[in-house]
Amino acid sequence: MAHSTDHHENEHAMSLAERAAFALLPFSGLGLLVFLLLSRELPFALALPWVPSLDLTLGFRIDGLSALMLLLITGVGSAVFVYAGGYLAGHRHQRRVLALLSAFMLAMIGAVTADQLVLVFVFWELTSLLSYLLVGFDHESAASRGAAKQAMLVTGAGGLALLAGLILLGQAAETSSLSGLVARGAELADDTRARIGVVLVMLGCFTKSAQFPFHFWLPGAMSAPTPVSAYLHSATMVKLGVYLLARLDPAFGEWPFWRMALTGVGTLTSAWAMILVLGERDLKRILAWSTVSALGAMVMLVGLRGEGSATAVGAFMLAHALYKAPLFFVAGNVDHGTGTRDISRLGGLRRAMPFTATAAVLAAVGMAGLPLSFGYVAKAVVLNAKREEEILAIVSYGSLFVGAVSVAVAAVASIRLFFRSAPEGGTVDAHEGGISLVLPPILVATIGIVFGVRPWLIEGLLGQVARSLTPGPGGPVVDLELELGQVFYSVAGTIAAGAVVFFVWEPLHRVVERGGALLRPYGAQAFYERALGDLVKSAAWLTRRVQHGRGSLYAAVLVFAIVLALGLAFAPGASSLAWPAPTSVELPVLAALTTISAGALLACVLETRLVLLLASGLVGYGSALLFLFTGAPDLAFTQFAVETAFVIVVATVLIELERRRRARSLLEPRVRPFAALVSLGFGGLLGALLLAVSALPFDDTLSRFYAAHSLPDAHGRNVVNVVIVDFRGLDTLGESAVVVFSFLAALPLVAALKKRRKEATP
Amino acid sequence: MSPRSLMLEVAGRTLYWLLLAASLWVLYRGHNLPGGGFIGGLVAVSATVVCAVSQSTELARRRLLFGDPRVLAASGVLASLLSGVVGWLAGEPFLTHPWVSIPLGVGSFDVSSVLVFDLGVYLAVWGAVGGYALLLLELEPAHDDGGSP
Amino acid sequence: MSFALALTVSIVAACGAYLALSRDVLRCVLGLAILGSAVNLLLFAAGRVDSPAPAILRAGESTLEASANPLPQALVLTAIVIGFVLTCFSLVLVLRVVHTSESDDLDALRDAEPPPTDPEAPPVEPDT
Repeated sequence: MAHSTDHHENEHAMSLAERAAFALLPFSGLGLLVFLLLSRELPFALALPWVPSLDLTLGFRIDGLSALMLLLITGVGSAVFVYAGGYLAGHRHQRRVLALLSAFMLAMIGAVTADQLVLVFVFWELTSLLSYLLVGFDHESAASRGAAKQAMLVTGAGGLALLAGLILLGQAAETSSLSGLVARGAELADDTRARIGVVLVMLGCFTKSAQFPFHFWLPGAMSAPTPVSAYLHSATMVKLGVYLLARLDPAFGEWPFWRMALTGVGTLTSAWAMILVLGERDLKRILAWSTVSALGAMVMLVGLRGEGSATAVGAFMLAHALYKAPLFFVAGNVDHGTGTRDISRLGGLRRAMPFTATAAVLAAVGMAGLPLSFGYVAKAVVLNAKREEEILAIVSYGSLFVGAVSVAVAAVASIRLFFRSAPEGGTVDAHEGGISLVLPPILVATIGIVFGVRPWLIEGLLGQVARSLTPGPGGPVVDLELELGQVFYSVAGTIAAGAVVFFVWEPLHRVVERGGALLRPYGAQAFYERALGDLVKSAAWLTRRVQHGRGSLYAAVLVFAIVLALGLAFAPGASSLAWPAPTSVELPVLAALTTISAGALLACVLETRLVLLLASGLVGYGSALLFLFTGAPDLAFTQFAVETAFVIVVATVLIELERRRRARSLLEPRVRPFAALVSLGFGGLLGALLLAVSALPFDDTLSRFYAAHSLPDAHGRNVVNVVIVDFRGLDTLGESAVVVFSFLAALPLVAALKKRRKEATP
Repeated sequence: MSPRSLMLEVAGRTLYWLLLAASLWVLYRGHNLPGGGFIGGLVAVSATVVCAVSQSTELARRRLLFGDPRVLAASGVLASLLSGVVGWLAGEPFLTHPWVSIPLGVGSFDVSSVLVFDLGVYLAVWGAVGGYALLLLELEPAHDDGGSP
Repeated sequence: MSFALALTVSIVAACGAYLALSRDVLRCVLGLAILGSAVNLLLFAAGRVDSPAPAILRAGESTLEASANPLPQALVLTAIVIGFVLTCFSLVLVLRVVHTSESDDLDALRDAEPPPTDPEAPPVEPDT
């Protein structure tokens, strides 16, 4: 593997042994899977207790569909790990890529085997997160960061929709397991929660599998290193959406809405992506759009009814992985060997890159669906599935178009790059990569051919897939050999149409490019960018409104919220409240109350601070009088003493402040409407509360207890004092401690003040 | 030191001791008549404020028990706390105040740790609130020699 | 009686809140003190005000007959003292603020949230 000519060796380079150690992970996974498939009967379930008190288990379940996904994850994964070892050899962050890929692989394995709904979501989001890190791998490039953010936002938002949907579905079906949900799904047709849940889950799956109108993030994600694109954005992660839709299909497949949405969105995505592919020059983006198209086709297949469609989904998934992963490797090799991925600058590479050319041809044969490839088998199965159901004419025409452009793309990736002569001024300086760059694509593409020639090798697994996608016991019989002959003419027609598209590729490209430029301002990508920009702008706008920095308004809003919350808590019971019985007010009490109110009102309208202080003193002295006249002499004394000390101290401070003009008197509007409204609400609420309380019968058990036990138990005649120092002594201890702590806390504040003054006065 | 009114100063001198004596009396009678630690403490604070305003804050501070409001306040909380231990040592819950009757010939004199508790409240309030008052009042004299910044 | 008390509590609370919501920091402190008084009154009145006799056992009596309710009094008494201490603390804080910022306008205190440099744009350009 000493091919890394343009990556100069440095101290960060990984040794061959280290790279091999990383590759051990997918290989051992693959080995384990094959062993499991050969030795165990599917489905294979595993449940570990997690939070037994909440009835949560870590449930895992492997059936045919999971096994197929696992095969892709570990099988393609093995190729990707070997390829990445060579492709990024000498790169200083190669370790990071391999570590992230390992973590991603484990998350994928978790996602396709988890049977617990929350667990499905957790692994699902983990794959999104790892995809973000891998797409943004080249973090010094702004485009790369933007693409990573876009992929993360789209799939992350979809993930949240998925979580909400799974929770709703779980509640509707009263289960926390995926298999339980599938088993009970048919009963949920009339449940509103289930309907909303299904829509949300669909949203999650559509974003993950890049379905229209969320298709735009996938080509952007091509800024990831090529092995990552081959693995995440073609073979495995983007198929998670299809996987989950297929998994849920037995439950909801009979809903007309489900079928309409899946076939509609799938067909639209498939066709639209094939139009967009014609507008591209970058080989990886071309492959990305054709992946989007394939995903659309898979979603459409899931939406079809009938037993054939179950087989078709599995066969197409496998076929797609077997030809698309090698094509990505080919794109990576071309990039590596020539320094460009622009197809208009490339051609005639077969002499310089013979092994890559071989791989490209083998894979392209599969993609075009030529006989003797597994692509052909998959095509046959898909056509068979469509025949089982009456399909709208537009869907069939769409399929023909999609098939034709697929063939053309396959031809571009093989014939045009390797066998046509290079265009004027194109790159001719090319070299072949090392064995770890050429072996994975050739091997994977060859497996595609082997399965094409000997389809029965994979028949058992596809039968298991079909069984896990079919409601009820048993499953369809899958016989791949029989169907091949029947579809030959159909395939031949598609290839003929594809050849036409290939030869008029350049004119088509110019048309689509021009049309795309016209449509771009209205496209999903532009919408995303506008929405993101508006989001930031509106966040800035909102922040400026909410965090305006004006302390008095903060306080007013705070009190407003308190009034509102109290009012709302108070309102429902308001009708059952009674007015208290009116009783006469004695003259001294009335005088005290008048003093209090007058003081408070004066304090609001007065402007001179010192007079304002005296007015507020009236509130205190009035309260003291009130206490005196209503049998509370202790309170009266306390209030008198406090008020006197308060007025003397504050007056001293105020006089000083005025004299020194340290505090400018503040010009404030005489009437502050919002504050007045909030204050009136607050006061009214407290008054209403007091009235409501006064009307209730009074429970004086505790007071009578204190009165009865004061003398015999505590030797005191002043019940108030006895309550303070004896019955509630611990409270009082705490309160006196609070008083002392408050004083101690004020000391450093004042000390700093004094120091400042000393500095200010030489 | 700014010049003070002579009358205020003379009256303040007398008033201080009168108020202090009153505060102790209020504290003592509090268990049976209006009064107690909080009120007594606040009356003592008024005494301190009167002294500070009529004479000087330094003098008022010196005249506080222990000469330092921090020590005074802390000793109050400590006294309250320790008074609770008495009952606890006697096997009762914390802050249960046992009463002991001391015979004095014809009558008897009842004493209890609850008096210490109330005294603690008195000291804490005097120290802390009086300390606050002194802090705020003390902000004044330093101004006299400086213009506004 | 209840109506007069409720009205007084409403007025005092409203005035206290109005003052506390002022931009003038010293008014805030006074508003806080008045709010404290309102709450004390509320608590006191909620324990029923129906007898002018203090809750004190006269010589010879061993239980109280008709008298004011001692329980809210005990609660309010400590609340008055604590309220006073709270007011003192806020006063010290306010004085400190006035001296540090040379302003007694609450809305002029912008150290924690300085005014935005640009009236429209977000503080940092989004990564595009």
